[in-house]
Amino acid sequence: MKRSTSEKIGQALITLILLVLCLSVLYPFMYMLAISLNVGSDAAKGGVYLWPRKFTLSNFQIVLGNSVIQHSYLITILRTIVGTFSGLLVTLLAAFALSYRQMPARKTLLTLILITMLFSGGLIPFYIQLYNLSLINTFWVYILPSAFSAWNMFVMLKFIHGIPEALIESAEMDGAKPPRVLFSIIIPLSKPMLAALGLFTGVMHWNDWFAGAFFVSDQDLIPVQTFLQQLLSAQDISVVMGSNNNVEALARGSNLSEVTLMSVKMATVMVSAIPILCVYPFLQKYFVKGVMIGSVKG
Amino acid sequence: MFAAIRKYKWQYLMIMPAVVLLLLFSYVPMAGIQVAFKNFHIGYTIWNSPWTGFENFAFLQDSQFWLVVRNTLYIAFLKFVFGFPAPIILALMINEVSRGGFKRFVQSVSYLPHFFSWIVVAYILQSLLTLDNGLVNQLIVSLGGDPVFFLGSTEWFRPMVVVSGLWKEVGWNTILYLAAITTIDPQLYEAAKVEGAGRLAQIRHITFPGILPTISIVLILSMPSLIAVGMDQIYPLMNPANQPVADVLDTYILRSGLQQGYFGMATAVGLLSSVISLLLVLVTNQMARKINGEGLW
Repeated sequence: MKRSTSEKIGQALITLILLVLCLSVLYPFMYMLAISLNVGSDAAKGGVYLWPRKFTLSNFQIVLGNSVIQHSYLITILRTIVGTFSGLLVTLLAAFALSYRQMPARKTLLTLILITMLFSGGLIPFYIQLYNLSLINTFWVYILPSAFSAWNMFVMLKFIHGIPEALIESAEMDGAKPPRVLFSIIIPLSKPMLAALGLFTGVMHWNDWFAGAFFVSDQDLIPVQTFLQQLLSAQDISVVMGSNNNVEALARGSNLSEVTLMSVKMATVMVSAIPILCVYPFLQKYFVKGVMIGSVKG
Repeated sequence: MFAAIRKYKWQYLMIMPAVVLLLLFSYVPMAGIQVAFKNFHIGYTIWNSPWTGFENFAFLQDSQFWLVVRNTLYIAFLKFVFGFPAPIILALMINEVSRGGFKRFVQSVSYLPHFFSWIVVAYILQSLLTLDNGLVNQLIVSLGGDPVFFLGSTEWFRPMVVVSGLWKEVGWNTILYLAAITTIDPQLYEAAKVEGAGRLAQIRHITFPGILPTISIVLILSMPSLIAVGMDQIYPLMNPANQPVADVLDTYILRSGLQQGYFGMATAVGLLSSVISLLLVLVTNQMARKINGEGLW
């Protein structure tokens, strides 16, 4: 079939726009990486756009040598693992229970869950409650409040309803109790859905800075993102230089004077972004599926 | 009754953790709204602090509050006007790409920013826009202009929020539309081609109507977060220089409540904003019911 000239121009224009879009996503990371791998005082002169001009690893040595950053990393990893696992477990248990249509009070429970999606008490009453439960300044403030997700519950419920009831009924004939049905039928068949929701929950935990900034004041408990948030408005590099194992070694090599606040900031943000950039290509097929499962209304 | 409960004892046991968490972190805070009408201080409980009527609502006569409301509505309006149609247009464009490899590449790359925190976005903005040696200012200076203090300017704050919001979420928000497009019957396009319809006509008469139900669902779902303009995004970008335009309801609540200790007043502001969000959802859901024949629930 012949295509008209105007359609060819349209195609070219679309390709161009999409290329610009992709570039706008990828370029900032390349720029930040280049700055973080360049000698700070040199980068400050400008002109580093794509590749480091004077290559150095000292920015990364400073960042990785900082005990606050090391510790915050540990907190982030721990809360991501514990938060994702407990989040999936609590939510899946609830969704599975509510998938029994004959259960008394099912409608009431579903309505109570729906209400929490539409209306909330707001930040201050929530904070007062965290305070009353003595969760302020504890690790559990990252885990417990988000362990049940109403949104994920409805996605799971819809997915479970899609599993053929005959499978469950035949297991029940054989005398299987609900826990057995859950572990030997529902969970094996829900793997793609659990992978997708687990991924979203994990990313949420990895990226959350808010709880660390406002519900925790103990520097030993803050996650990486909260550290980054504090560093964002820092006026000098003492935040990163203090309690640093690598500073002495760097001072001996007299690299220290060449380090700038900007170069250290860029190295820190790359340290937090690189893990996501690394796992992203492998997880793609899961999350697209996950959005689809959640999309069709339940 | 008891027999039924015994029959479903496993199910009740399994839903128990969720019920407890909902009670503790959703319903008790809802009861805590009464703090808006009380003189609450840390040390009291939400139940035994003294009632004060509408004293905490004195902020309604404070011009600062109305400035914050104006900022919130302005940013919400801009984010909606640009953020709602953009993924639809992008999805239609991606759909026009015929080479599969390039299409997948565009999708992969455009979804990526969704996975980074707003803090990382703030760093990107800082690295590109900072006054001394930000990339953009390097360009401006090399072209002979004067550097612009983007991060501390009242004029540039709103464009910065809208553009960085688009940058982060536009690709991700195309997923639903692209999925909806794949469910459109290919025979429709064949028939249109026979009739001599060009690409634009096909988009207007087949693709767009095909994704219209998805558009309406996304519209309803975006309502609750409409006036919660994204405190996650705004707080890291806010500084004393741009605060006159950057201060929104959520940052106002955070500052007056958690940082200055006006719990009652901050709760009252939060209550107003929750009620407005609820009304927005209910109204859009009703409208969707009228138009589509069914709402979200």
